[in-house]
Amino acid sequence: MIIPAKQFVKLLILLLMGGWISQTLEAQQMGPESVSLTADQTKFFETKIRPVLVRECYSCHSTRSKVKGGLWLDTKLGVLSGGDSGPAIVPGDLDESPLWSAINHVDYKMPPRKKLSDEIISDFRTWIEMGAPDPRVLKENKVNTKITEEEIEKGRQFWAFKKPVSYSPPAVENQRWPVSDIDRFVLHELEQHGLTPAGDAEATMFLRRLSFDLIGLPPTPEQIQWLEKRWDQDREQAILHIVDSLLAKDEFGERWGRHWLDVARYAESTGKELNLTYPQAWRYRDYVIDAFNSDKPYNEFIEQQIAGDLLPVKTDQQWSENLVATGFLAIGPKTLTEQNGRQFNHDLIDEQIDVATRVILGVSVACARCHDHKFDPIPQSDYYAMAGIFNSTTTHYGTIDTLQNRHPSNLLVLPTDDLNPFDNRISTSQLADLKSQLSEKQLELREAQLARRSQRQGDASNNPQTSFANIARLSAVVGGLRAKIQQYDEKGNPYTYFMGVQTKSRPENARLLVRGEFDKPAQEVKRGFPQVLTQKPATIPAKASGRLELGRWMASDENPLSARVMVNRVWQHMFGNGIVRSPENFGATGQSPTHPELLDYLARDFQNNDWSVKTLIRKIATSRIYRSNSEFSTASFQVDPENHFIWRMESRRLEAEVLRDAILRISGDLDAARPRGSLVSEIGTALVRDGVLISTIGSSNPDIKTGLPTRRSGGRSRMNREGGMQQTASPTSPSMAKIDQPVSYRSVYLPVIRDNVTRSMEVFDFAESSMVVGVRETSNTPDQGLYFLNNQFVIQQADKMANRLIKEKSQVKDQIKLAFLLAFGRRANSTELRAAESFYRDFETSQSRFGLSSNVQKLSAVCQGILASAEFRFVN
Amino acid sequence: MMNPEINPSQFPSRRALLKTISSGFGFLAFSSLATLAKARDDKSGSSNNPLASKDPHFPAKAKRVIFLCMRGGPSHVDTFDYKPELIKNHGKTGKFRGSILKSPWDFPACGESGLRISELFPSLGQQADKLCLLRGMNTDLPVHPRALTQMHTGNAQFVRPSLGAWTLYGLGTENDSMPGFVSVNPGAGNAQTYGSSFLPAIYQGTKLSGSRGGGRMRGASASSGGGIPDIANPRLNSRQQRQQLEFIQKLNYEKLRREKEHPGVEGVIESYELAFRMQAEMPDLLDLSKEDQKTLDLYGIGQGETDKFGKQCLLARRMSESGVRFIEISHDNWDTHFNMTTRLPQLCNQIDKPIAGLLEDLQRRGLLDETLVIWAGEFGRTPYAQGADGRDHNNKGYTTWMAGGGVKGGFSYGGTDDLGAVAVDGKCHIHDWHATILHLLGLNHAELTYRYAGRDFRLTDVYGNVMKDIIA
Repeated sequence: MIIPAKQFVKLLILLLMGGWISQTLEAQQMGPESVSLTADQTKFFETKIRPVLVRECYSCHSTRSKVKGGLWLDTKLGVLSGGDSGPAIVPGDLDESPLWSAINHVDYKMPPRKKLSDEIISDFRTWIEMGAPDPRVLKENKVNTKITEEEIEKGRQFWAFKKPVSYSPPAVENQRWPVSDIDRFVLHELEQHGLTPAGDAEATMFLRRLSFDLIGLPPTPEQIQWLEKRWDQDREQAILHIVDSLLAKDEFGERWGRHWLDVARYAESTGKELNLTYPQAWRYRDYVIDAFNSDKPYNEFIEQQIAGDLLPVKTDQQWSENLVATGFLAIGPKTLTEQNGRQFNHDLIDEQIDVATRVILGVSVACARCHDHKFDPIPQSDYYAMAGIFNSTTTHYGTIDTLQNRHPSNLLVLPTDDLNPFDNRISTSQLADLKSQLSEKQLELREAQLARRSQRQGDASNNPQTSFANIARLSAVVGGLRAKIQQYDEKGNPYTYFMGVQTKSRPENARLLVRGEFDKPAQEVKRGFPQVLTQKPATIPAKASGRLELGRWMASDENPLSARVMVNRVWQHMFGNGIVRSPENFGATGQSPTHPELLDYLARDFQNNDWSVKTLIRKIATSRIYRSNSEFSTASFQVDPENHFIWRMESRRLEAEVLRDAILRISGDLDAARPRGSLVSEIGTALVRDGVLISTIGSSNPDIKTGLPTRRSGGRSRMNREGGMQQTASPTSPSMAKIDQPVSYRSVYLPVIRDNVTRSMEVFDFAESSMVVGVRETSNTPDQGLYFLNNQFVIQQADKMANRLIKEKSQVKDQIKLAFLLAFGRRANSTELRAAESFYRDFETSQSRFGLSSNVQKLSAVCQGILASAEFRFVN
Repeated sequence: MMNPEINPSQFPSRRALLKTISSGFGFLAFSSLATLAKARDDKSGSSNNPLASKDPHFPAKAKRVIFLCMRGGPSHVDTFDYKPELIKNHGKTGKFRGSILKSPWDFPACGESGLRISELFPSLGQQADKLCLLRGMNTDLPVHPRALTQMHTGNAQFVRPSLGAWTLYGLGTENDSMPGFVSVNPGAGNAQTYGSSFLPAIYQGTKLSGSRGGGRMRGASASSGGGIPDIANPRLNSRQQRQQLEFIQKLNYEKLRREKEHPGVEGVIESYELAFRMQAEMPDLLDLSKEDQKTLDLYGIGQGETDKFGKQCLLARRMSESGVRFIEISHDNWDTHFNMTTRLPQLCNQIDKPIAGLLEDLQRRGLLDETLVIWAGEFGRTPYAQGADGRDHNNKGYTTWMAGGGVKGGFSYGGTDDLGAVAVDGKCHIHDWHATILHLLGLNHAELTYRYAGRDFRLTDVYGNVMKDIIA
């Protein structure tokens, strides 16, 4: 692996800048190795130290009583791994040992009521300086699994945990129907159940389906005409041609990347009670979109997301790409207010294990955090085998250091310069100005804190509540300024930060936790993978975290699940249902595959074709079954009410993004260019509240309360982006922005803020971004009715659509016809035309309201009605 | 929402009915459509509509819930948990971090039951015989956001459905024109308190916000809609909109005609009907100006400090009447670390008359028996002092209360130790509290499950005991 020295140093420095997190992790690596102590050391501890700990500390800090601040002092492990504020003692280093400053009443005051005698304090000095020898042996808990070797071996025979097999397509009776192997598998099942496949769809129905499925946008009138002409003579060739042309569009990656972002629980903020932004998350989003567009082999795709930082690379460019991919592990929701550092860390690891296993492997290993998996043969120790891998990893997600945020982390810097830097450089004088502001605010903060402390000790002259609010505000300003300064090098050039993971210098195994409780550690578990999914134990070098090995194993043909899980996802996005209808659960409680042999065939074929997603989609899109119509058949319904065997194409509700994008495309307003970054990266580090991003630096400025600058108000985003950049370039400008902005780029680029979803997304069941969402909900709510009837965006788009129609056609009749063609992808029938024409005729317009002519008002009302109809919302 | 299961024998009749409706094509009477839809559902015995009213597991005591949520952790030892020992031990340090602080307020015996309720609640004291005090409450964490989340979802660790969402999932809604779960003023960053998590989104609470000072609530007929997005059309008058809606429904019925079976399209047709009715009813419901002066006075509306919460309480009653299943209203700032002797009386005053008025009004209208009113904060406060004039968080013992909805009135259940520090008998953990609320609604908390990620989840996880002793 080539790591250019210059970049490596840059990376290292930035890593160190984060400060505390690296320290915590260092300390945790010092496991309780049993080094034998000399008799003197033991005696010193037993006579001078242990009695004091028992008398003064255990009542609040022991495994048997309370664990205040996450710290327990009755075991050696507890002393060294410490509590929320890091290790209690760093052997040999007084300055780095919070216990030392606490007993000296410097920072904390411990014991809280009275200071220890000078003599005892001096004993502790001696003890820490001699390396804190501690003879206490951890009384080891041991949790034995109830899952036997035999059960695990039996589990390996479960269909999903065996490697997929290359089945040959089965024989079918109706030999004329299939056009591909996929068809033979599907037809075989249909025939076995006495069912017949549906007839072919009409060209228009097929094209609308294909276009939405592949690029998430409606077909154009030209495409419709083109395909209709060839549908009867040259169907196979025409389909192949149009499939290939859609696969080649950039819009393909925007559509399929979003499917991945659903399961990757992509979002640009932490969520939970203290919701802070991730201004760099968009890099991961763009990485995903680009990966689908370049048809990156899927196994590489997942390998990069699990272990991109560890993969060998030839160029810095490639390295950068791999590093950004690891954002997958960093973008999850975080409870920044969690008081207990260990709990936070275990929850972080848990979230990573959960996402990695459910998304990539389709099994839930995180079920085994607290006890053996209830249904699959995954013992609790298998969970901690994986926990060791992620515990040997540091996660870098940013967020600023404030009073409320108990777990800020640093970001990483890319080894390559941004080709198109988003943040402008600032002048050295601006930088100096920021720095002087910082020291000024730091001073203010320190004074406020001192004032508060003296108040607590009796002097109640000031209002303490106000002063506390003041401290909280100042701490946010200081955190924001510090984060801002860290964005630039000493010359004012912006660093290119990203979210991702790194491996700790000294990886170590995790301890199993009794019932998953962080203060009940049991035996150490060797790092590894779930046994039931592997034939032999993983080989992880002692000095490696095991993440690289995990990524490689997930990406290999040996893995029984990775390929199956992905082909199932692709199938689901094209048919509405997966072959396995529980895409995140291929285990015992998941659904059985409706076409087990087809699933294996597709998985093997996927592997043999270099894990090419486009190849897979092309095969499905050109199959006969994919062009079935959606006609209802009572006879078939009686046999197969859930349409397991695909006796017709399932009708589907379009997703929120597709609806919004389609409206924009039809109205002619869609800006197809990818915006640079996202609204969140423009605003930067910010707090999210009630649909508004509030930059923490800005909050000190009273002026901003007057209104919310909507920097992207209307117009093309390119222009606004430039405006945005100017604003960002000014280092001290306060920023506040509504999340819901009137922009016209594709929905995949809208900000994704946890618990603050934009209106047009939220109303049509956008994926809950705190969870792995393999299947989106498709609700049918009155709220959706209100949206289409009354929403400002819908109404404006209907106006634009009307104007477009008037520009393209002169006759009202033709305008209405074109409206239907654009929205439904087919020509309207006579009933529909009559309804639209009579509505147009009878609709009473208001006199020159909103500056719109009567014709535009009428036509706009018709357009809105068409967009609001069920036909537009569903695809057959 | 996943496709609900369809019984094949069922939909010919559904279809037949819809056909009858759609045959008179040019004319659609929306109200009769709704009636027909209801008849259709009744006839088939079940419905594709996930919000349709459902039978409880067993006969219910309460039909609906009004949850008065007190954010910040109200002090129980100064309000509903009378502790004479605090007076005796005032100033002592003992085992606590601070010195013991007696309550500066008296606890007169109230009502016929003689419940001891703080003098800070003079009006509520007069309603004492309606109250069922739960004095043995406890929860896991003394941290605001997490305890608030646990109070609503049972779990502070993971994102889980809220109590209101579970209730709506279990019982459906009674009014086609209204959302089934409404949360007024839930506060910023508290989406989990009315969220549906893995339950279908349709069970999520509808958030009403912008009630600051109650001003926007009154002006709900304007396009602001009192916090409901897109409730009013900025351009079309109702006649124009009716025309447009008829056009939309014509297209929808045409689609239904062409495609023999399509629950999705039927759903769209129904959702437009409800949306149209909501447009008409919601702004009216939010408009308190039609209430008479006597009622407004009862709630303390227009009387300074009590105005804001009084409006929320009155709104809760109006929603109860119109069949909303779960109504949550909120009151904030109970976090009295400092200046307790001035702030607590203000806070109590702000809610005292409004809540007393709500209980009185519900009873007068015969709604109290079927409406479970719950008052709770996320935890209580310590019996010892913090600084000179405040109390710290206490999750180990505190008080909440219920009224109406099948609970005993003038009743006190459970208790803390002599000083009010820790619950010692009749202990009621949040899981028990949830189990009891569901029980009163006729739902067995152990049976109200939803399958997600391969396992059956419930509000109470693997915990929860129904407190049978408090049931009338």
